Amino acid sequence: MQSIKTGGRHDLASRIGVALCWIASILVAAVCVFIIGYLLQQGWHSLSWKFLSTDPVQSLTEDQAGGIRTPMVGTAILVLASILLALPLALGAAIYLAEYMDERRWITRIVRVGLETLASVPSVVFGMFGLALFTLGAFKFLSSGGAQGSSMSYGRSFLVASIVMGIHILPFVIKVSEEAIRNIPRSLRQGALALGMTKWRTIWKVVLPAARPGLATAAVLGMGLAAGDTAIVWLTLGGSMTMGVDAWWQPHNWLAVLKGAGSTLTTYAYFNSPAGDGNSPGAAFGAAFVLMCIVLLFNLGAVLLFRRRDLTGR
Amino acid sequence: MSDSFLTADPNETFSMLEGMLSAAAPRVRSTDVPAIFEVKALDVSYGSKRVLHDVSLEIPEKRITAFIGPSGCGKSTALRCLNRMNDEIPSFNMRGKIRLAGQDIRAKSVNITALRRNVGMVFQQPNPFPMSIYDNIALAVREHDGRISRSELDGIVEQALKHASLWDEVKKGLKDSALSLSGGQQQRLCIARALAVKPAVIMLDEPCASLDPISTARIEELLLELSADYSIVIVTHNMAQAKRISDKVAFFLMGRLLEYGDALQVFEAPQRNETAEYVSGAFG
Repeated sequence: MQSIKTGGRHDLASRIGVALCWIASILVAAVCVFIIGYLLQQGWHSLSWKFLSTDPVQSLTEDQAGGIRTPMVGTAILVLASILLALPLALGAAIYLAEYMDERRWITRIVRVGLETLASVPSVVFGMFGLALFTLGAFKFLSSGGAQGSSMSYGRSFLVASIVMGIHILPFVIKVSEEAIRNIPRSLRQGALALGMTKWRTIWKVVLPAARPGLATAAVLGMGLAAGDTAIVWLTLGGSMTMGVDAWWQPHNWLAVLKGAGSTLTTYAYFNSPAGDGNSPGAAFGAAFVLMCIVLLFNLGAVLLFRRRDLTGR
Repeated sequence: MSDSFLTADPNETFSMLEGMLSAAAPRVRSTDVPAIFEVKALDVSYGSKRVLHDVSLEIPEKRITAFIGPSGCGKSTALRCLNRMNDEIPSFNMRGKIRLAGQDIRAKSVNITALRRNVGMVFQQPNPFPMSIYDNIALAVREHDGRISRSELDGIVEQALKHASLWDEVKKGLKDSALSLSGGQQQRLCIARALAVKPAVIMLDEPCASLDPISTARIEELLLELSADYSIVIVTHNMAQAKRISDKVAFFLMGRLLEYGDALQVFEAPQRNETAEYVSGAFG
Protein backbone atom coordinates (compact mmCIF):
# COMPACT_ATOMS: atom_id res chain seq x y z
CA MET A 1 0.00 0.00 0.00
CA GLN A 2 1.25 3.50 -0.80
CA SER A 3 2.15 5.82 2.03
CA ILE A 4 -0.61 8.09 3.25
CA LYS A 5 1.86 10.37 4.99
CA THR A 6 4.09 11.56 2.21
CA GLY A 7 3.39 13.11 -1.19
CA GLY A 8 1.31 16.18 -1.84
CA ARG A 9 3.45 17.49 -4.65
CA HIS A 10 1.20 20.42 -5.38
CA ASP A 11 0.38 21.50 -1.85
CA LEU A 12 2.64 24.56 -1.86
CA ALA A 13 1.54 25.73 -5.29
CA SER A 14 -2.09 25.35 -4.25
CA ARG A 15 -1.56 27.44 -1.19
CA ILE A 16 0.23 30.17 -3.13
CA GLY A 17 -2.53 30.16 -5.72
CA VAL A 18 -5.23 30.61 -3.09
CA ALA A 19 -3.22 33.35 -1.38
CA LEU A 20 -2.80 35.27 -4.64
CA CYS A 21 -6.52 35.09 -5.33
CA TRP A 22 -7.18 36.35 -1.84
CA ILE A 23 -4.79 39.25 -2.31
CA ALA A 24 -6.44 40.14 -5.63
CA SER A 25 -9.85 40.24 -3.98
CA ILE A 26 -8.60 42.39 -1.14
CA LEU A 27 -7.01 44.79 -3.64
CA VAL A 28 -10.26 45.14 -5.56
CA ALA A 29 -12.20 45.76 -2.38
CA ALA A 30 -9.57 48.26 -1.26
CA VAL A 31 -9.85 50.21 -4.52
CA CYS A 32 -13.62 50.34 -4.05
CA VAL A 33 -13.33 51.56 -0.53
CA PHE A 34 -10.72 54.12 -1.54
CA ILE A 35 -12.90 55.57 -4.28
CA ILE A 36 -15.93 55.82 -2.04
CA GLY A 37 -13.84 57.24 0.76
CA TYR A 38 -12.21 59.86 -1.44
CA LEU A 39 -15.51 60.96 -2.92
CA LEU A 40 -16.96 61.27 0.52
CA GLN A 41 -14.00 63.21 1.80
CA GLN A 42 -14.01 65.67 -1.07
CA GLY A 43 -17.71 66.15 -1.33
CA TRP A 44 -18.80 65.78 2.27
CA HIS A 45 -18.99 69.44 3.07
CA SER A 46 -21.31 70.05 0.15
CA LEU A 47 -23.78 67.35 1.16
CA SER A 48 -26.81 68.60 2.97
CA TRP A 49 -30.54 68.57 2.58
CA LYS A 50 -30.30 72.04 1.03
CA PHE A 51 -27.87 70.66 -1.50
CA LEU A 52 -30.33 68.04 -2.58
CA SER A 53 -33.36 70.23 -2.68
CA THR A 54 -32.30 73.47 -4.31
CA ASP A 55 -31.56 74.19 -7.90
CA PRO A 56 -28.12 75.07 -9.19
CA VAL A 57 -27.31 78.74 -9.62
CA GLN A 58 -24.88 80.36 -11.99
CA SER A 59 -22.20 81.83 -9.81
CA LEU A 60 -18.53 82.47 -9.68
CA THR A 61 -17.99 81.14 -6.22
CA GLU A 62 -18.68 77.69 -5.00
CA ASP A 63 -20.63 78.49 -1.87
CA GLN A 64 -23.23 80.22 -3.94
CA ALA A 65 -23.45 77.42 -6.48
CA GLY A 66 -26.78 76.19 -5.22
CA GLY A 67 -27.87 72.58 -5.05
CA ILE A 68 -28.34 69.65 -7.36
CA ARG A 69 -32.07 69.33 -7.53
CA THR A 70 -32.30 70.07 -11.25
CA PRO A 71 -29.63 67.56 -12.26
CA MET A 72 -31.20 64.96 -10.00
CA VAL A 73 -34.55 65.45 -11.67
CA GLY A 74 -32.72 65.32 -15.00
CA THR A 75 -31.15 61.98 -14.11
CA ALA A 76 -34.54 60.63 -13.07
CA ILE A 77 -36.20 61.77 -16.28
CA LEU A 78 -33.45 60.35 -18.44
CA VAL A 79 -33.32 57.01 -16.68
CA LEU A 80 -37.06 56.51 -16.74
CA ALA A 81 -37.47 57.59 -20.34
CA SER A 82 -34.62 55.45 -21.65
CA ILE A 83 -35.77 52.31 -19.89
CA LEU A 84 -39.36 52.88 -21.03
CA LEU A 85 -38.12 53.09 -24.61
CA ALA A 86 -35.64 50.23 -24.36
CA LEU A 87 -37.56 47.68 -22.33
CA PRO A 88 -40.33 46.69 -24.76
CA LEU A 89 -37.84 46.41 -27.60
CA ALA A 90 -35.41 44.45 -25.43
CA LEU A 91 -38.12 42.11 -24.22
CA GLY A 92 -39.34 41.39 -27.71
CA ALA A 93 -35.83 40.75 -28.96
CA ALA A 94 -35.00 38.59 -25.95
CA ILE A 95 -38.11 36.46 -26.40
CA TYR A 96 -37.34 35.98 -30.07
CA LEU A 97 -33.71 35.12 -29.40
CA ALA A 98 -34.46 32.74 -26.55
CA GLU A 99 -37.51 30.98 -27.90
CA TYR A 100 -37.81 31.23 -31.63
CA MET A 101 -34.37 31.79 -33.05
CA ASP A 102 -32.87 28.70 -34.60
CA GLU A 103 -29.21 28.65 -33.62
CA ARG A 104 -28.18 26.77 -36.72
CA ARG A 105 -29.31 29.30 -39.27
CA TRP A 106 -26.89 31.86 -40.68
CA ILE A 107 -29.24 34.72 -40.01
CA THR A 108 -28.99 33.98 -36.31
CA ARG A 109 -25.23 34.48 -36.47
CA ILE A 110 -25.75 37.85 -38.14
CA VAL A 111 -28.20 39.00 -35.49
CA ARG A 112 -25.89 37.95 -32.70
CA VAL A 113 -22.86 39.61 -34.25
CA GLY A 114 -24.96 42.73 -34.74
CA LEU A 115 -25.93 42.77 -31.10
CA GLU A 116 -22.38 42.22 -29.96
CA THR A 117 -21.22 45.09 -32.16
CA LEU A 118 -23.91 47.38 -30.82
CA ALA A 119 -22.87 46.45 -27.31
CA SER A 120 -19.27 47.41 -27.93
CA VAL A 121 -19.90 50.82 -29.47
CA PRO A 122 -18.45 53.47 -27.13
CA SER A 123 -21.09 55.75 -25.72
CA VAL A 124 -19.42 58.87 -27.11
CA VAL A 125 -19.92 57.45 -30.58
CA PHE A 126 -23.59 56.99 -29.81
CA GLY A 127 -23.69 60.58 -28.61
CA MET A 128 -22.17 61.89 -31.82
CA PHE A 129 -24.45 59.74 -33.90
CA GLY A 130 -27.39 61.10 -31.99
CA LEU A 131 -26.24 64.65 -32.42
CA ALA A 132 -25.70 64.21 -36.15
CA LEU A 133 -29.02 62.50 -36.67
CA PHE A 134 -31.29 64.54 -34.49
CA THR A 135 -30.07 67.91 -35.69
CA LEU A 136 -31.59 67.10 -39.05
CA GLY A 137 -34.58 69.25 -39.78
CA ALA A 138 -36.90 66.30 -39.87
CA PHE A 139 -36.53 65.82 -36.14
CA LYS A 140 -37.57 69.30 -35.06
CA PHE A 141 -40.43 67.82 -33.07
CA LEU A 142 -38.03 66.17 -30.70
CA SER A 143 -36.29 69.22 -29.40
CA SER A 144 -37.15 72.83 -28.80
CA GLY A 145 -34.78 75.75 -28.68
CA GLY A 146 -32.22 76.75 -31.23
CA ALA A 147 -32.42 79.41 -33.88
CA GLN A 148 -35.80 80.22 -35.40
CA GLY A 149 -36.06 79.82 -39.11
CA SER A 150 -33.18 77.41 -39.26
CA SER A 151 -33.68 74.27 -41.28
CA MET A 152 -31.85 72.25 -38.69
CA SER A 153 -33.35 71.27 -35.40
CA TYR A 154 -31.66 72.03 -32.14
CA GLY A 155 -31.05 68.36 -31.61
CA ARG A 156 -30.60 68.43 -27.88
CA SER A 157 -33.29 67.55 -25.44
CA PHE A 158 -34.36 64.92 -22.96
CA LEU A 159 -36.22 63.13 -25.72
CA VAL A 160 -33.19 62.93 -27.95
CA ALA A 161 -30.95 61.90 -25.06
CA SER A 162 -33.43 59.23 -23.98
CA ILE A 163 -33.65 57.77 -27.45
CA VAL A 164 -29.90 57.57 -27.82
CA MET A 165 -29.47 56.29 -24.27
CA GLY A 166 -32.16 53.72 -24.89
CA ILE A 167 -30.21 52.38 -27.86
CA HIS A 168 -27.03 52.39 -25.80
CA ILE A 169 -28.47 50.23 -23.03
CA LEU A 170 -30.47 48.03 -25.39
CA PRO A 171 -27.89 45.27 -26.05
CA PHE A 172 -27.18 44.93 -22.37
CA VAL A 173 -30.82 44.68 -21.35
CA ILE A 174 -31.43 42.21 -24.18
CA LYS A 175 -28.56 40.04 -23.03
CA VAL A 176 -29.67 39.89 -19.40
CA SER A 177 -33.33 39.37 -20.35
CA GLU A 178 -32.44 36.59 -22.75
CA GLU A 179 -30.46 34.88 -19.98
CA ALA A 180 -33.38 35.23 -17.62
CA ILE A 181 -35.75 33.65 -20.12
CA ARG A 182 -33.37 30.84 -21.02
CA ASN A 183 -32.92 30.04 -17.35
CA ILE A 184 -36.52 29.00 -17.01
CA PRO A 185 -36.33 25.18 -17.05
CA ARG A 186 -37.51 23.36 -20.13
CA SER A 187 -39.72 21.17 -17.95
CA LEU A 188 -42.06 24.11 -17.33
CA ARG A 189 -42.51 24.72 -21.04
CA GLN A 190 -43.06 21.01 -21.65
CA GLY A 191 -45.68 20.88 -18.92
CA ALA A 192 -47.58 23.77 -20.49
CA LEU A 193 -47.33 22.40 -24.03
CA ALA A 194 -48.54 18.99 -22.83
CA LEU A 195 -51.67 20.69 -21.49
CA GLY A 196 -52.53 21.93 -24.96
CA MET A 197 -51.16 25.48 -24.70
CA THR A 198 -49.61 27.05 -27.76
CA LYS A 199 -45.97 28.09 -27.69
CA TRP A 200 -46.76 31.78 -27.65
CA ARG A 201 -49.24 31.42 -24.78
CA THR A 202 -46.75 29.25 -22.92
CA ILE A 203 -44.20 32.05 -23.20
CA TRP A 204 -46.69 34.71 -22.22
CA LYS A 205 -48.44 32.92 -19.36
CA VAL A 206 -45.78 30.62 -17.94
CA VAL A 207 -42.26 31.56 -19.00
CA LEU A 208 -42.38 35.34 -18.72
CA PRO A 209 -44.12 35.42 -15.33
CA ALA A 210 -41.58 32.90 -14.06
CA ALA A 211 -38.77 35.06 -15.46
CA ARG A 212 -40.08 38.22 -13.83
CA PRO A 213 -37.31 38.58 -11.22
CA GLY A 214 -34.64 38.13 -13.90
CA LEU A 215 -36.35 40.58 -16.23
CA ALA A 216 -36.69 43.11 -13.45
CA THR A 217 -32.98 42.71 -12.80
CA ALA A 218 -32.30 43.43 -16.46
CA ALA A 219 -34.38 46.60 -16.28
CA VAL A 220 -32.78 47.82 -13.09
CA LEU A 221 -29.27 47.17 -14.33
CA GLY A 222 -30.12 49.02 -17.53
CA MET A 223 -31.34 51.94 -15.46
CA GLY A 224 -28.08 51.97 -13.53
CA LEU A 225 -26.20 52.08 -16.81
CA ALA A 226 -28.30 54.96 -18.06
CA ALA A 227 -27.81 56.88 -14.83
CA GLY A 228 -24.05 56.69 -15.05
CA ASP A 229 -23.34 57.70 -18.63
CA THR A 230 -21.82 61.08 -19.35
CA ALA A 231 -20.82 61.21 -23.01
CA ILE A 232 -24.26 60.65 -24.44
CA VAL A 233 -25.85 63.12 -22.05
CA TRP A 234 -23.25 65.79 -22.66
CA LEU A 235 -23.65 65.56 -26.42
CA THR A 236 -27.38 65.14 -26.70
CA LEU A 237 -28.64 67.06 -23.71
CA GLY A 238 -25.99 69.60 -22.90
CA GLY A 239 -25.31 70.83 -19.42
CA SER A 240 -27.56 73.77 -18.84
CA MET A 241 -28.18 74.71 -15.25
CA THR A 242 -31.86 74.99 -15.60
CA MET A 243 -34.62 72.94 -17.12
CA GLY A 244 -36.26 74.26 -20.24
CA VAL A 245 -39.44 74.97 -18.31
CA ASP A 246 -39.75 76.48 -14.88
CA ALA A 247 -42.59 74.49 -13.36
CA TRP A 248 -41.36 71.11 -14.51
CA TRP A 249 -43.38 69.19 -12.00
CA GLN A 250 -46.69 70.11 -13.54
CA PRO A 251 -47.94 67.35 -15.88
CA HIS A 252 -49.10 69.71 -18.58
CA ASN A 253 -45.54 70.97 -18.86
CA TRP A 254 -44.03 67.54 -19.20
CA LEU A 255 -43.90 67.40 -22.97
CA ALA A 256 -42.16 70.77 -23.02
CA VAL A 257 -39.72 69.54 -20.43
CA LEU A 258 -38.92 66.48 -22.52
CA LYS A 259 -38.32 68.60 -25.55
CA GLY A 260 -36.18 71.02 -23.60
CA ALA A 261 -32.67 71.07 -22.32
CA GLY A 262 -31.43 70.25 -18.87
CA SER A 263 -28.69 68.36 -17.13
CA THR A 264 -28.10 65.19 -15.22
CA LEU A 265 -25.85 64.41 -12.29
CA THR A 266 -23.18 63.19 -14.66
CA THR A 267 -23.01 66.37 -16.73
CA TYR A 268 -23.30 68.47 -13.61
CA ALA A 269 -20.34 66.70 -12.09
CA TYR A 270 -18.35 67.11 -15.30
CA PHE A 271 -19.25 70.75 -15.67
CA ASN A 272 -18.29 71.67 -12.14
CA SER A 273 -15.18 69.60 -12.00
CA PRO A 274 -11.80 71.16 -12.81
CA ALA A 275 -12.23 69.86 -16.35
CA GLY A 276 -15.39 71.86 -16.98
CA ASP A 277 -16.26 75.55 -16.68
CA GLY A 278 -18.26 75.52 -13.51
CA ASN A 279 -15.44 75.78 -10.99
CA SER A 280 -17.23 74.18 -8.05
CA PRO A 281 -15.26 71.01 -7.49
CA GLY A 282 -16.78 70.47 -4.05
CA ALA A 283 -20.25 70.49 -5.54
CA ALA A 284 -19.04 68.21 -8.30
CA PHE A 285 -17.79 65.66 -5.81
CA GLY A 286 -21.00 65.95 -3.88
CA ALA A 287 -22.98 65.26 -7.01
CA ALA A 288 -20.64 62.38 -7.89
CA PHE A 289 -21.20 60.85 -4.49
CA VAL A 290 -24.97 61.14 -4.80
CA LEU A 291 -24.80 59.61 -8.28
CA MET A 292 -22.72 56.73 -7.00
CA CYS A 293 -25.25 56.08 -4.24
CA ILE A 294 -28.04 56.02 -6.78
CA VAL A 295 -26.25 53.53 -9.01
CA LEU A 296 -25.32 51.42 -5.99
CA LEU A 297 -28.98 51.39 -4.97
CA PHE A 298 -29.95 50.24 -8.44
CA ASN A 299 -27.43 47.41 -8.30
CA LEU A 300 -28.54 46.38 -4.82
CA GLY A 301 -32.10 46.38 -6.02
CA ALA A 302 -31.09 44.14 -8.90
CA VAL A 303 -29.39 41.68 -6.56
CA LEU A 304 -32.39 41.55 -4.24
CA LEU A 305 -34.78 41.09 -7.14
CA PHE A 306 -32.64 38.33 -8.56
CA ARG A 307 -32.57 36.49 -5.22
CA ARG A 308 -36.37 36.39 -5.16
CA ARG A 309 -36.42 33.84 -7.93
CA ASP A 310 -35.13 31.22 -5.52
CA LEU A 311 -37.98 31.65 -3.09
CA THR A 312 -41.42 30.16 -3.31
CA GLY A 313 -41.72 31.32 -6.85
CA ARG A 314 -44.69 33.52 -6.20
CA MET B 1 -51.51 9.86 6.38
CA SER B 2 -48.30 11.71 5.85
CA ASP B 3 -46.83 11.96 2.44
CA SER B 4 -43.22 11.62 3.45
CA PHE B 5 -41.64 8.27 3.85
CA LEU B 6 -39.29 9.49 6.52
CA THR B 7 -41.79 10.96 8.91
CA ALA B 8 -44.55 8.38 8.57
CA ASP B 9 -45.62 6.22 11.46
CA PRO B 10 -43.39 3.09 11.24
CA ASN B 11 -46.26 0.68 11.76
CA GLU B 12 -48.18 2.26 8.94
CA THR B 13 -45.13 2.10 6.71
CA PHE B 14 -44.59 -1.59 7.39
CA SER B 15 -48.16 -2.59 6.79
CA MET B 16 -48.20 -0.55 3.60
CA LEU B 17 -45.00 -2.11 2.29
CA GLU B 18 -46.32 -5.53 3.23
CA GLY B 19 -49.43 -4.84 1.23
CA MET B 20 -47.35 -3.72 -1.71
CA LEU B 21 -45.17 -6.79 -1.68
CA SER B 22 -48.01 -9.25 -1.39
CA ALA B 23 -49.98 -7.55 -4.12
CA ALA B 24 -47.18 -8.13 -6.62
CA ALA B 25 -49.34 -10.52 -8.61
CA PRO B 26 -50.41 -9.22 -12.04
CA ARG B 27 -53.94 -7.94 -12.61
CA VAL B 28 -56.61 -9.93 -14.34
CA ARG B 29 -59.01 -7.41 -15.85
CA SER B 30 -60.19 -8.34 -19.31
CA THR B 31 -58.44 -6.37 -22.04
CA ASP B 32 -60.98 -7.33 -24.66
CA VAL B 33 -62.14 -3.75 -25.01
CA PRO B 34 -62.05 -1.27 -27.88
CA ALA B 35 -58.72 0.37 -28.63
CA ILE B 36 -58.30 4.08 -27.96
CA PHE B 37 -54.95 4.28 -29.74
CA GLU B 38 -53.82 2.30 -32.78
CA VAL B 39 -50.14 2.45 -33.61
CA LYS B 40 -49.07 0.95 -36.96
CA ALA B 41 -45.52 0.47 -38.17
CA LEU B 42 -44.10 3.34 -36.17
CA ASP B 43 -40.54 4.24 -37.15
CA VAL B 44 -38.84 7.12 -35.36
CA SER B 45 -35.45 8.72 -35.87
CA TYR B 46 -33.74 11.81 -34.53
CA GLY B 47 -31.65 12.99 -37.44
CA SER B 48 -29.79 9.92 -38.61
CA LYS B 49 -30.24 8.05 -35.36
CA ARG B 50 -33.00 5.47 -35.51
CA VAL B 51 -34.72 4.98 -32.17
CA LEU B 52 -37.87 3.02 -32.96
CA HIS B 53 -38.32 0.25 -35.52
CA ASP B 54 -41.67 -0.88 -36.81
CA VAL B 55 -43.69 -0.61 -33.61
CA SER B 56 -47.33 -1.68 -33.82
CA LEU B 57 -49.74 -1.95 -30.93
CA GLU B 58 -53.19 -1.02 -29.71
CA ILE B 59 -53.83 0.75 -26.42
CA PRO B 60 -57.05 -0.50 -24.83
CA GLU B 61 -59.61 1.98 -23.60
CA LYS B 62 -60.00 2.55 -19.85
CA ARG B 63 -57.21 0.19 -18.94
CA ILE B 64 -53.66 0.67 -17.77
CA THR B 65 -51.01 -0.11 -20.37
CA ALA B 66 -47.40 -0.21 -19.28
CA PHE B 67 -44.38 0.33 -21.50
CA ILE B 68 -41.43 -1.44 -19.92
CA GLY B 69 -37.85 -2.02 -20.98
CA PRO B 70 -34.28 -1.04 -20.10
CA SER B 71 -32.99 2.54 -20.40
CA GLY B 72 -32.74 3.87 -23.92
CA CYS B 73 -35.05 1.26 -25.44
CA GLY B 74 -37.39 3.87 -26.91
CA LYS B 75 -40.38 3.57 -24.59
CA SER B 76 -40.44 7.26 -23.68
CA THR B 77 -40.06 8.20 -27.34
CA ALA B 78 -43.02 5.99 -28.22
CA LEU B 79 -45.05 7.64 -25.48
CA ARG B 80 -44.22 11.12 -26.67
CA CYS B 81 -45.34 10.27 -30.18
CA LEU B 82 -48.85 9.74 -28.89
CA ASN B 83 -49.35 13.40 -28.03
CA ARG B 84 -46.93 14.70 -30.64
CA MET B 85 -44.62 16.21 -28.03
CA ASN B 86 -41.77 15.00 -30.24
CA ASP B 87 -42.84 17.53 -32.85
CA GLU B 88 -41.05 20.15 -30.75
CA ILE B 89 -37.71 18.51 -31.51
CA PRO B 90 -36.29 19.77 -34.83
CA SER B 91 -34.49 16.58 -35.84
CA PHE B 92 -37.52 14.37 -35.16
CA ASN B 93 -38.69 12.18 -38.00
CA MET B 94 -41.59 9.75 -37.94
CA ARG B 95 -43.08 7.18 -40.30
CA GLY B 96 -46.13 5.04 -39.75
CA LYS B 97 -49.56 5.85 -38.45
CA ILE B 98 -51.01 6.67 -35.08
CA ARG B 99 -54.76 6.81 -34.69
CA LEU B 100 -56.63 8.19 -31.72
CA ALA B 101 -60.24 6.96 -31.70
CA GLY B 102 -59.92 6.27 -35.40
CA GLN B 103 -58.42 9.66 -36.38
CA ASP B 104 -54.89 9.98 -37.69
CA ILE B 105 -53.25 12.34 -35.20
CA ARG B 106 -50.90 13.72 -37.84
CA ALA B 107 -53.65 14.65 -40.27
CA LYS B 108 -53.67 18.26 -41.41
CA SER B 109 -57.13 18.75 -39.94
CA VAL B 110 -55.95 17.87 -36.45
CA ASN B 111 -55.42 20.78 -34.08
CA ILE B 112 -52.38 19.92 -32.02
CA THR B 113 -53.52 21.82 -28.93
CA ALA B 114 -56.82 19.94 -29.00
CA LEU B 115 -54.92 16.67 -29.33
CA ARG B 116 -52.76 17.48 -26.34
CA ARG B 117 -55.78 18.48 -24.35
CA ASN B 118 -57.21 15.04 -25.00
CA VAL B 119 -54.00 13.17 -24.34
CA GLY B 120 -52.57 14.49 -21.10
CA MET B 121 -49.05 13.91 -19.94
CA VAL B 122 -47.35 13.72 -16.56
CA PHE B 123 -43.59 13.82 -16.46
CA GLN B 124 -40.91 12.07 -14.48
CA GLN B 125 -39.94 15.12 -12.45
CA PRO B 126 -42.99 16.96 -11.11
CA ASN B 127 -43.12 20.27 -12.96
CA PRO B 128 -45.75 22.49 -11.34
CA PHE B 129 -45.77 26.09 -12.54
CA PRO B 130 -44.33 28.62 -10.09
CA MET B 131 -47.80 29.89 -9.23
CA SER B 132 -50.47 29.10 -6.71
CA ILE B 133 -52.06 25.65 -6.59
CA TYR B 134 -55.29 27.12 -7.88
CA ASP B 135 -53.62 28.87 -10.81
CA ASN B 136 -51.69 25.76 -11.78
CA ILE B 137 -54.94 24.01 -12.49
CA ALA B 138 -56.91 27.00 -13.72
CA LEU B 139 -54.34 28.16 -16.28
CA ALA B 140 -54.88 25.55 -18.96
CA VAL B 141 -58.62 25.45 -18.32
CA ARG B 142 -58.81 29.19 -18.96
CA GLU B 143 -56.67 28.79 -22.07
CA HIS B 144 -59.12 26.40 -23.61
CA ASP B 145 -62.25 28.20 -22.44
CA GLY B 146 -61.69 31.92 -22.10
CA ARG B 147 -65.22 32.75 -21.07
CA ILE B 148 -65.46 30.41 -18.12
CA SER B 149 -66.96 31.94 -14.99
CA ARG B 150 -65.15 32.08 -11.71
CA SER B 151 -67.57 29.74 -9.94
CA GLU B 152 -67.37 27.19 -12.73
CA LEU B 153 -63.60 27.38 -12.57
CA ASP B 154 -63.66 26.88 -8.79
CA GLY B 155 -65.75 23.77 -9.37
CA ILE B 156 -63.37 22.37 -11.95
CA VAL B 157 -60.35 23.00 -9.74
CA GLU B 158 -62.02 21.26 -6.82
CA GLN B 159 -63.08 18.31 -8.97
CA ALA B 160 -59.61 17.90 -10.43
CA LEU B 161 -57.96 18.01 -7.01
CA LYS B 162 -60.46 15.50 -5.63
CA HIS B 163 -59.90 13.21 -8.60
CA ALA B 164 -56.18 13.38 -7.97
CA SER B 165 -56.65 12.62 -4.31
CA LEU B 166 -55.13 15.93 -3.27
CA TRP B 167 -58.16 18.01 -2.32
CA ASP B 168 -58.20 17.33 1.40
CA GLU B 169 -54.57 18.25 1.76
CA VAL B 170 -54.71 21.58 -0.04
CA LYS B 171 -58.29 22.82 0.19
CA LYS B 172 -57.39 25.28 2.91
CA GLY B 173 -54.44 26.74 0.99
CA LEU B 174 -55.30 26.94 -2.70
CA LYS B 175 -53.53 30.26 -2.99
CA ASP B 176 -50.28 28.86 -1.62
CA SER B 177 -47.44 28.36 -4.02
CA ALA B 178 -47.39 24.99 -5.71
CA LEU B 179 -43.67 24.80 -5.02
CA SER B 180 -44.32 24.58 -1.29
CA LEU B 181 -45.84 21.11 -1.70
CA SER B 182 -43.88 17.90 -1.21
CA GLY B 183 -42.68 15.88 -4.20
CA GLY B 184 -45.54 13.42 -4.07
CA GLN B 185 -48.07 16.21 -3.68
CA GLN B 186 -46.56 18.11 -6.59
CA GLN B 187 -46.87 15.04 -8.78
CA ARG B 188 -50.50 14.62 -7.78
CA LEU B 189 -50.98 18.29 -8.59
CA CYS B 190 -49.56 17.65 -12.05
CA ILE B 191 -52.04 14.80 -12.43
CA ALA B 192 -54.87 17.08 -11.29
CA ARG B 193 -53.70 19.70 -13.77
CA ALA B 194 -53.90 17.16 -16.58
CA LEU B 195 -57.30 15.93 -15.40
CA ALA B 196 -58.77 19.43 -15.29
CA VAL B 197 -58.82 19.74 -19.10
CA LYS B 198 -60.81 16.50 -19.32
CA PRO B 199 -58.56 14.25 -21.37
CA ALA B 200 -59.49 10.84 -22.70
CA VAL B 201 -56.01 9.46 -22.16
CA ILE B 202 -53.47 10.14 -19.45
CA MET B 203 -49.86 9.29 -20.15
CA LEU B 204 -47.27 9.13 -17.41
CA ASP B 205 -43.54 8.92 -18.06
CA GLU B 206 -42.00 7.23 -15.01
CA PRO B 207 -44.11 9.36 -12.68
CA CYS B 208 -42.85 7.81 -9.47
CA ALA B 209 -39.15 7.72 -10.34
CA SER B 210 -38.32 10.57 -7.99
CA LEU B 211 -40.80 9.70 -5.23
CA ASP B 212 -40.56 7.74 -2.01
CA PRO B 213 -42.44 4.40 -1.64
CA ILE B 214 -45.40 5.87 0.20
CA SER B 215 -46.00 8.58 -2.41
CA THR B 216 -45.50 5.95 -5.09
CA ALA B 217 -48.12 3.72 -3.51
CA ARG B 218 -50.58 6.59 -3.31
CA ILE B 219 -50.10 7.42 -6.97
CA GLU B 220 -50.48 3.79 -7.99
CA GLU B 221 -53.72 3.62 -6.00
CA LEU B 222 -54.83 6.77 -7.75
CA LEU B 223 -54.06 5.38 -11.20
CA LEU B 224 -56.06 2.27 -10.46
CA GLU B 225 -59.04 4.44 -9.53
CA LEU B 226 -58.60 6.69 -12.54
CA SER B 227 -58.49 3.78 -14.97
CA ALA B 228 -62.23 3.41 -14.52
CA ASP B 229 -62.72 6.67 -16.39
CA TYR B 230 -59.51 7.30 -18.33
CA SER B 231 -57.23 5.27 -20.55
CA ILE B 232 -53.81 5.22 -18.96
CA VAL B 233 -50.41 4.61 -20.49
CA ILE B 234 -47.46 4.48 -18.14
CA VAL B 235 -43.79 4.15 -18.89
CA THR B 236 -42.05 2.51 -16.01
CA HIS B 237 -38.67 1.19 -15.11
CA ASN B 238 -40.12 -0.49 -12.10
CA MET B 239 -41.11 -4.08 -12.84
CA ALA B 240 -42.99 -4.54 -9.63
CA GLN B 241 -45.00 -1.42 -10.35
CA ALA B 242 -45.92 -2.74 -13.79
CA LYS B 243 -46.98 -5.98 -12.18
CA ARG B 244 -49.05 -4.20 -9.57
CA ILE B 245 -51.13 -1.97 -11.75
CA SER B 246 -51.00 -2.73 -15.46
CA ASP B 247 -53.55 -4.59 -17.57
CA LYS B 248 -51.44 -4.76 -20.72
CA VAL B 249 -47.69 -4.68 -20.99
CA ALA B 250 -45.47 -3.70 -23.91
CA PHE B 251 -41.84 -4.76 -23.64
CA PHE B 252 -39.41 -2.64 -25.62
CA LEU B 253 -35.82 -3.52 -26.31
CA MET B 254 -33.39 -1.53 -28.48
CA GLY B 255 -36.13 0.35 -30.24
CA ARG B 256 -38.25 -2.67 -31.05
CA LEU B 257 -41.45 -3.87 -29.49
CA LEU B 258 -40.48 -7.42 -28.57
CA GLU B 259 -43.58 -8.51 -26.78
CA TYR B 260 -47.02 -7.09 -26.15
CA GLY B 261 -49.80 -8.83 -24.25
CA ASP B 262 -51.86 -9.10 -21.12
CA ALA B 263 -49.92 -8.42 -17.95
CA LEU B 264 -50.61 -11.87 -16.59
CA GLN B 265 -49.25 -13.53 -19.69
CA VAL B 266 -46.16 -11.30 -20.09
CA PHE B 267 -45.08 -11.75 -16.50
CA GLU B 268 -46.01 -15.36 -15.85
CA ALA B 269 -45.54 -16.89 -19.29
CA PRO B 270 -43.57 -14.59 -21.57
CA GLN B 271 -43.25 -15.74 -25.16
CA ARG B 272 -39.74 -14.44 -25.78
CA ASN B 273 -36.55 -15.24 -23.95
CA GLU B 274 -35.54 -11.62 -23.68
CA THR B 275 -38.82 -10.79 -22.00
CA ALA B 276 -38.38 -13.62 -19.54
CA GLU B 277 -34.86 -12.46 -18.74
CA TYR B 278 -35.80 -8.82 -18.32
CA VAL B 279 -38.85 -9.58 -16.23
CA SER B 280 -36.86 -11.81 -13.93
CA GLY B 281 -34.24 -9.13 -13.50
CA ALA B 282 -31.43 -10.78 -15.45
CA PHE B 283 -30.64 -7.41 -17.08
CA GLY B 284 -31.93 -3.86 -17.29
